[in-house]
Order: sequence, then structure tokens, then C-alpha cells
Amino acid sequence: MAKRNSIRFGDYIQAMSVDSQRVPFLELMPEPLFDRHGNEHPQPVPKMKLGGGDVVKLLQPYFSTRFMDQARAVVPLAAYLALFQYIVLQTPVIDAAIIAGGLLAVMVGLMMFMEGLKLGLMPFGEVIGNTLPRKLPLAGVLTIAFLLGIGVTFAEPAIGALQVAGSLVDPVQAPYLFTLLNDRSGTTVLLVGLGVGLAAVLGTVRFLRGWSLKPLIFITLTPTLILSVIAFFNEDLTTIVGLAWDCGAVTTGPVTVPLVLALGIGVASAAGKGADSSLSGFGIVTLASVFPILGVLCLSFYTAYTVPAEEIIARAAEIRLAAEAAASQPNWFEVTPWTEVILGVRAIVPLVIFLAIILFIVLREKMKNAFITNYGIILAVLGMCIFNIGLTYGLAKLGDQSGGLIAGAFESIDTIAASPLYSFSVGVGIAALFAWVLGFGSTLAEPALNALGMTVQNLTNGAFKKSMLMGAVAFGVAIGIMLGVLKLIFDFHIMYILIPGYTIGLILTLLSTEEFVNVGWDSAGVTTGPVTVPLVLAMGLGFGNALGSVEGFGILAAASICPIVAVLTLGLYVQFKVKREERRLALAEEGGTA
Amino acid sequence: MKRSFTTLTDATLITAVVQSGYGEIITNALLDVGIEGSTIHAAMGVGIRERLGALGVAVDAEREVVSVMVSSDEVDRVFERIFLAGKLDIPGSGFMYATPLLQAATYVPPSIVSKYVG
Repeated sequence: MAKRNSIRFGDYIQAMSVDSQRVPFLELMPEPLFDRHGNEHPQPVPKMKLGGGDVVKLLQPYFSTRFMDQARAVVPLAAYLALFQYIVLQTPVIDAAIIAGGLLAVMVGLMMFMEGLKLGLMPFGEVIGNTLPRKLPLAGVLTIAFLLGIGVTFAEPAIGALQVAGSLVDPVQAPYLFTLLNDRSGTTVLLVGLGVGLAAVLGTVRFLRGWSLKPLIFITLTPTLILSVIAFFNEDLTTIVGLAWDCGAVTTGPVTVPLVLALGIGVASAAGKGADSSLSGFGIVTLASVFPILGVLCLSFYTAYTVPAEEIIARAAEIRLAAEAAASQPNWFEVTPWTEVILGVRAIVPLVIFLAIILFIVLREKMKNAFITNYGIILAVLGMCIFNIGLTYGLAKLGDQSGGLIAGAFESIDTIAASPLYSFSVGVGIAALFAWVLGFGSTLAEPALNALGMTVQNLTNGAFKKSMLMGAVAFGVAIGIMLGVLKLIFDFHIMYILIPGYTIGLILTLLSTEEFVNVGWDSAGVTTGPVTVPLVLAMGLGFGNALGSVEGFGILAAASICPIVAVLTLGLYVQFKVKREERRLALAEEGGTA
Repeated sequence: MKRSFTTLTDATLITAVVQSGYGEIITNALLDVGIEGSTIHAAMGVGIRERLGALGVAVDAEREVVSVMVSSDEVDRVFERIFLAGKLDIPGSGFMYATPLLQAATYVPPSIVSKYVG
């Protein structure tokens, strides 16, 4: 290249495309105010006045980026289900307009909810996490962590999906499952919350003491597995197992994880133990998925010993009658959208009140930026209400429909006249493949997984690549959902997946290092977000109903254990590779010096 | 080997304080025209939410500070590019400035150094 001292002015003018003006900066500065002694006296920040065009320019990227975040998770999944139904099952989507509206509500609702969570609830969590450990003794902190665990469970968007799913259960075939999801659904969620609360306490203590996760996994999983086996052999309770293990996956969503973590990390850093290990954030998610399982199992045993099945069936009939009576002449709060609105308010408001009591009464702290926080809380409540509406009309409906129709690939069902569309083996293959792709795609779209992947890459100094982790988790979930669907087709019990799965998981845990144990077990909780959970739950139930199986639960449970196994296996492989590399280098060095 | 270093002259530092997330957009826009060596810092901004009132919710208080060193001859061109990529024409989205640098130094390919030696 020729020696270049300057740029030709013509080229330069061409590269500039925008008009520019010059204005002195003084124009933007407020004029100082002086009192009569010549001292500057304070003045409020001048408000900026914006024209309509500027307001649009300001708000447009604000809405579009947040909306796109949700659309990226929802649209591909919905398109996949619809296209699959249309092309492979040759059935158009029924009520397509309603479902599309519902999905739009899901996206808008989630957008508002996530923004509200960030602006309204997270600041509470951070302030409480930072100040609580300084003002209260450990016992007080743990009590509040426990109560917070219960509160966040009720606020979790996916928990509503359980109640929606409950209405699809047949009370005669699975009385205890029915009662746990209908007239006792509040108790069930409470028990799940107790589990999350216990997990929050244990997780916080673990932060403080620096306990290893490995023994905790063994200590918590062993009784859970034993109870599951007992329930499995109990005729009445065998249907509960799938639900119980699904609850574990439901709890670890966008509300629980950050709020509980904020508290735990605050406690750890107040004790001077924080930030010494990048692993300190892990582990709580795992515990928060195991304890709720235990809680639901205990509740089911308690119910089974206190309430006979006949009574439940009788009451189910009553409930059904009442529901029919209500349907003919519904109260205002029993019609949509009011039911959803009430659910939404009931989920968020108690949590906010609880946080406010701690902050203002226990801690006597003030909230900075009260306007933004209030805006965030209102947004969270509104978002939750809209999301609930979308859940009923969009995700649950679409999942239920797809699940019900996919059975038509290999069995004769009423909704598809030409069913079975394919021979049994081909149809089952199609159903399995459908489930596999669904699991793989929805997991890769989960934003939390991306974040986890980044953390892991940094943690292992790049030995465990982000793409590798994401691939492993998505592959695991895909296999899990596929196994769950096959479970429904061949009607075997979920325990046949859980027992071998968790046995392999526990063995791998023994062999792996602490880092991979933390990452591996947490990856399961991360994968199940507020879009995937309702969709997969509804799909499983719809599929189960079409096949006439007693319950469609268990798919999420299967989708939880498989990624654990996948990540731990990959972790062992990476470890092995790093060791081999080190040995090779050491050998080469010896050879060099000799 | 005798070590030496070369001082670069006529350099200007452009610094842009933008909403978090825009840092990478700006560095990518610079990479597109072959300008590398940008740095992104995380930062926290104060004041704009108060000025905007209710509309302040649309502005992220978390900021990214992008700094890049360019030739003084090309300041205007790069300045404009960053302004557009960072959407600084939106109220509350951030600000940027250019500061002349007394001297700068980095690795300079020998072929270029030799042009100026002797």
C-alpha cells in the first residue's frame, strides 16, 4: 500500500451521511441558583420535556427488545407444534385464532412479568439480602429465607399450570391424584412451597459453611426415592409419583431462583464467605427441586391414611356438580378473565406484602426509587394475570390438542377420522421423534440455559464449552421427554425411568468433581421455564387422555433426570480429556529433559 | 535483542456511555469497518431516570462504557458511526465524547515503522 498521510476530502465527505449541527454544551446545563449570600443553593433535577416523536423513539426499543425475548421462546415452539399437526397429522389447528390470541397473551404477559420482576421484586430481594444478615441473627435470617421460599412458590408462573392440569384428571381412576390437584391444590402448592423454603434454608447454610453438594444430594434423594418406591407399590398412590416428581421441575422458575439466590448470596457475603467461589450460586436450585418432591409425597401419604378413596370420589362428584351448576350460572369471579386475574393477584400480592413487611417493619429500610419499584410491582401483577389468561387459552390448549392428536399417528382416535394415520411402529417412531425435537428445541431456546453455559465456560477455563453444555442439556431433555412420551404409549410406570436414571446419576455424582456435580444437578432445574412447563404438562395430559392412560404426569420428571446424567457424563469425559492432556504434556517434558 | 517502542501520534480516544447491551452492537459496527481494539466496561448511570419522570422506566440504569482509539483524521467518521449504532439520538440513551491523546503506543508492524525511520 502506498504511504498514506491523509484521507482525500471527497472520500471523507462521502463517508459522512448525517447532517450535523454545533450547539454549546452550556445549553444542556441547568443555570446555577444562588442565595443572597452568594452560596449555590440546591435545585431539583429539571424535567426533560419530550415531543411525541421522541417518546415513541424512547419506548419502541424498550418494548420491542423485551417482547422479542419472549417471542424467541414461544413462537418457534408454537410454530413447530402447529406445523407438525398440519403436515404429519394432517389436521388443522382447532381454534387457531383463540390459541394465537392466547400465545400473544403469554408473550405480552411474560414480557411484563419479567420486567416487573426485575424492577419491582428483585430490588427488594437485593436490599433484603444485603441488610438482613447484618440486622438479624442467623436463626431469624433462616426463618425469613424459609418463609420466602413458600412465598415465591405461589408467585411462580408455571405453578398455575398444575392447577389447570388437575381438571383433566379422572377422579375414579386416580382419586388421590385428583384430590391433590383439585380440592386440595392449595395444600399441595403449600407443601411444594415448604419444600422450597427448606431448600432455601439448607442452601443458605451450605453457602455459610461451604458444604459439599454431594452428601446433600445423597441425603435428600435417598428418602425421596424410598418414599417413591413405597408409593409405587401402594395401589392408591402409584399415580401420585409422576405428579410429585413433576413438581420438582415446576418450582425452579424465574421467580424462585433469583430471589432465593439473592438472599443466600447476601448472607454468605455478610459472613465474609461470598465471592470466594464462583460456585456459591449453585446447589440451591437442585435442593429446591428435590424437597418439593418429598413434600408432595408426604402429603399424599398423609391424605391416603386420613381420607378414604370413596370419600374423594363422592366429593369429586359433588365438585363436578357444583362446577356444572356454576357453569350454568357462574359468579363473576368464576368466569374468565376474572379467574385468571384473581389467580394472578393471589400469586404476587402476598409475596410483595411479605417482602414489604420484612423491609419496612423488620429492617426499617427505605426503598430507593419507590416510583420504579411500584411500577415494577404493578407490571408484575398485570403480567401474571395476562400470562394466566394466555396459559389457559394458548399454551395449555395447544399442548393439550397436540398431545391428543399425536396419538392419532398410531392409534384410532375420534378427532382424526383417518386414524391411525401410520402403522403402529412408524406412528410410535413419529411420536417419539416429535417429542425429542420438541425437547431439544425448547431447551435451546431457554435463556437461563445460555447464562448457565457462560458461567460453566468461565468456571472450567473453557474446557467445558458453552455450546457443549447447552447441547448436552438439550440432548438430555430431549431424551427425557421422549422417554416420558414412550412411557405413556407403552403405559409403564414412571419409576422405571426414575430409578435407573437417578441410580446412574448418583453413581456419576460419586465419580465427578464438585464443580460438575453442582453444574450438572442444577442444569435440570434451569431447563424448565415458564413456557416449556405448561406446554409439556398439557401435552402429556392430552396425550395420556387420548391413549386412555390414568395420568399424563412424569414427562417433566423424566426431562429432569436425563440432562443431569448427560452433563455429568460429559463432565467426566472432559475431566478425562484434560487429565490425559496433562499426562501427555508431563511425559513430553520428561522426554525433553532426559 | 534490543527492545524499542514506537509512539503513535495524532490519536483520539472516543468514549461512549450507552445503555447496557448496546456496547456489543457498537463494537460490532466498528468491526464491520475494520476498527478493532474497542474496550467495554460495565458501569452504572445516575440521573436520567429522574429527569425523564415516568418515562424513565424505559431507560436502563446499567450502562456500558465503550472506548476506542482512532486516528485524529477519522474521528468524525467513527464518531458518527458510534452515534448511529448506539442510537444516541434517543433521549436518555447515553452520550459520547472524543478526547485528543498526547501520545499512544501499541504493537506497530515493522513494515510501517520502517517507513518513518531515517
